[in-house]
Amino acid sequence: MAQKSRIKAKEKKGITTVKAMAKHEMLSYDEAKRKKVEANFITSIIAKVDEEIVYEASTSQFLSKDPFVQFKFKGENKGKMLTFTWVDFKGNTQTDKKKIK
Amino acid sequence: MNRRNFLSLGLGLGAAAIMLPSTLSAVNFRETKKSAFEGPKSHTINDAMTELFGTSTTIEKNVKLKAPDIAENGAVVPLQVSSKLAGKTVAIFQDANPESLVAVFTVPANGIIDYKLRIKMAKTGTVTAVVQDGDTLFSSSKMVKVTAGGCGG
Repeated sequence: MAQKSRIKAKEKKGITTVKAMAKHEMLSYDEAKRKKVEANFITSIIAKVDEEIVYEASTSQFLSKDPFVQFKFKGENKGKMLTFTWVDFKGNTQTDKKKIK
Repeated sequence: MNRRNFLSLGLGLGAAAIMLPSTLSAVNFRETKKSAFEGPKSHTINDAMTELFGTSTTIEKNVKLKAPDIAENGAVVPLQVSSKLAGKTVAIFQDANPESLVAVFTVPANGIIDYKLRIKMAKTGTVTAVVQDGDTLFSSSKMVKVTAGGCGG
């Protein structure tokens, strides 16, 4: 089971700011070769509020280890649940939820 | 979805197992624009940009890219991309690593283009952020000096 992502979500004046840190080795091909294991890194991150996507990124092996991301979106979202999901190269996935303050 | 098929393609398209409804503008770029992320056309920024957007011509305005002048630790280079444009897609490239496309964001209906992320840079290089607004690409570039390489040294 992958480790949980750390999420902070706050809304101020109709704009919600989310800071999230996913826990992931993020091994690029070079690093993996050196460690003699398979490369594995997050390939996609999606965040939703209710069923609507508020953030979506396709990512490469070049995000830092335990990637930190921040994003913002509009709307009256205080009190709603934000779901933060990432998928990696091998198909592992991790979803975490956090209430928007 | 048959996992074996994906493994045999060697591209780890496990992301497709998540049912991304096509009614939302949920485009998984790693699948649809594989060639921008990996392969012969992914090395230089211009090639990867052309693979992703169809062109590498950009207008250098309306996009703000914040990056450190000097990154002590190439493994963690903090970036911030922001723009007031009503862009639909934002992409980040850099020329210090073997493949130049770092990330692509799809901006949803309520989205604001103001993203922070941390990337790895193997050596000193230029980071370019591109925002696609309609048919036009707007960009901003910044050179980041890396004192200690980021892909494991």
